[in-house]
Amino acid sequence: MAYSELIKDFESIRAYMRDFYVYGFKSRNEYDKKSARSYDNERRRIESWLGEYMSFHYTGNSKNVFLSVDSRTISANPLYKAFKAKSFTNKDITLHFYILDMLEEGRALTVGEMIEEINRKYLHYFDKPISFDESTVRKKLKEYVSIGLLCVEKKGREVRYKRTDLPTVSLTSWKDALAFYSEESPLGIIGSFLLDRLQGVPDFFRFKHHYMVHTLDSDILCQLLEAIYTQQRVKLTITNLRNALEYQRSLCPLKIYVSTQSGRQYLLGYHYGSNRIAFFRLDAIKKVEIGCKEECFSRYLQLQQKFDQHLWGVSRGNTQALEHIEMTIHVENDEQFIVQRLKREKRHGTVEMIDEHTYRFVADVYDATEMLPWLRTFIGRIVDLQCTNPVVEKGFFEDLQTMETLYGDDKHAVS
Amino acid sequence: MLFHEIYGTYFQVVADILTEAVQGCLTDQRLTNIVQQKAFAESTLSIPTALKKQEWPLLTPTLGTVVHHKPTMPLTTLEKRWLKALLLDKRIALFQPDCTGLEDVEPLYQPETFVFFDQYTDGDPYTDTQYIQCFQTILQALHEKKMLKVEFFTRTYAKYTIFCQPNQLEYSSKDDKFRLIAFGKQNTYTINLARIQSCEIMEEPPSIQKPVLPRQKQKELTFLLYNQRNALERVLLHFSHFHKETTKLDSGQYRIKLHYHPDDETELLIRVLSFGPMIQVEAPQEFIDLLQERVHRQLDYFSKNRTT
Repeated sequence: MAYSELIKDFESIRAYMRDFYVYGFKSRNEYDKKSARSYDNERRRIESWLGEYMSFHYTGNSKNVFLSVDSRTISANPLYKAFKAKSFTNKDITLHFYILDMLEEGRALTVGEMIEEINRKYLHYFDKPISFDESTVRKKLKEYVSIGLLCVEKKGREVRYKRTDLPTVSLTSWKDALAFYSEESPLGIIGSFLLDRLQGVPDFFRFKHHYMVHTLDSDILCQLLEAIYTQQRVKLTITNLRNALEYQRSLCPLKIYVSTQSGRQYLLGYHYGSNRIAFFRLDAIKKVEIGCKEECFSRYLQLQQKFDQHLWGVSRGNTQALEHIEMTIHVENDEQFIVQRLKREKRHGTVEMIDEHTYRFVADVYDATEMLPWLRTFIGRIVDLQCTNPVVEKGFFEDLQTMETLYGDDKHAVS
Repeated sequence: MLFHEIYGTYFQVVADILTEAVQGCLTDQRLTNIVQQKAFAESTLSIPTALKKQEWPLLTPTLGTVVHHKPTMPLTTLEKRWLKALLLDKRIALFQPDCTGLEDVEPLYQPETFVFFDQYTDGDPYTDTQYIQCFQTILQALHEKKMLKVEFFTRTYAKYTIFCQPNQLEYSSKDDKFRLIAFGKQNTYTINLARIQSCEIMEEPPSIQKPVLPRQKQKELTFLLYNQRNALERVLLHFSHFHKETTKLDSGQYRIKLHYHPDDETELLIRVLSFGPMIQVEAPQEFIDLLQERVHRQLDYFSKNRTT
């Protein structure tokens, strides 16, 4: 099949874009999922969409392609372009413009009337026009009704189709909001679609700590949100990110947990197989199948709310028991911002003042090992660290020792 | 369905071409220009050909069109539901869009469906009247390219009044805060919106152009990454929003170079510390010095504790 810069299936490009953007060190030979030709085509497509953000470097004999962009310097996520590259047939694009044109000015037409008009008003200009049979037109109309571009008016057995322009939404009044939310909101790609309809889009919003790569999971997220809103069960096809093996899970989807510090998105749901709350990374989900209505949705939601009270990140730990942690830190006279940091960054627990220069953070969580990265951000200020999970203290001290060997001299070594 | 051709660049570009054709002003040159400006790099090979060869029978040989109206498309259900969901967001008061037409639309999701579990809890006061007013004044100044008089408090509660040319509004989802980036005569200011006490538009024309001051040069951080405990994925994802380059060394070791703004050095230091010994900074030396100082100070605390 001839190469095209458009794609039929988003899943095929999703992994490549992620690899180019997040990793960026792999050479052509290391993309072993499919053939080398497949790699060449996907790389060429991404280059066609995002050429200005593509870079290359050479390692030995191999050329490594990567995507690199300082997201703070741009007002629109370039990865959205992948969602705007869906392939279509000649009939798809032709019918799109014919149908919407015919139904302008509030007209409502039957399928028969439309086919007659297509032949009389549109196709007769061309020497060798493509022909549209009734089933093709009917299928397209049905599709457009399902996505909300058209609606149906029934009079007896007669079915008429019309556009859904009314009631009108004044998109112009949304311009600023769209420029902001298209980057900042879940499923911001939809905002980008809407912005494409407008002229003079504001260019003054910028985004710090902006994790753009997760837009690649938007299609999955969209389906999960629909299931959560309608309280329906789902069956997920998931790829194990370590060994690439696929497996399936049936669950009641409840919440989407998002890390603002890595951009990772997780589905939290009630997993029927293990009869408990579980997390699933969105970037590992390949397919969502929506099932029947979940009658126990409210009960599962209550379980989630209770569960959330001691959740630091997205780990439930190995046991049901809570782990108690206490971190005491030293604060100099002019370092009240450290106390502010403790207060605003803690997700659970309390901060108490011991004396003018000493504060203690106390919390009970399911898995205190999840806190280690955060605890390390206070390196240089921690007077004392105690945790009922010995792995936390041990891990912290061992890491500190290793850092000492990386950065320091021996005189400070912890014995 | 999110991944659909009706939202695609090709449909959008063809709509733009047909708009000019309906108006009778489409030329070969314009057709090529529209495709070059709005479509993908290789689209010039496909879109003009498909239209001219009548594979898509939309344009006549004289670059007129068989469609009778300027192409428009109603909003899809998905688009309306997403807009309705935005109306439930706490920050929508800053923008005050016209909600007409969405009255009977179900939101795509409820705000509480999302849990931003590591977002800082001292975010901006989005429902505060003064904050909203200030935000909208800044938006107006940005649109109309007007000067602003801004009174604000610093972190140490010192009060300042400045005259500036607003340039950008920067939002951080981690901090849940907006910052105004503005040019003064001598400086570029970055001001937390929540610290602004008052803000008004100056009617006289802007006297400040983009500063001729040299832009603060970005610094480069180089570090080795030891791929233990899934550090490769965690680190690269965590730093993915920077302009960066990753090179694979031996198995399990990678070298990463990333560019950062000098103002963000302390924040970056904390972020590097959070990965502990999985990261070893190689340059710049002043960054290594900062790390050493923190590690030594920490070891001193622990050794003192053990002694007492």
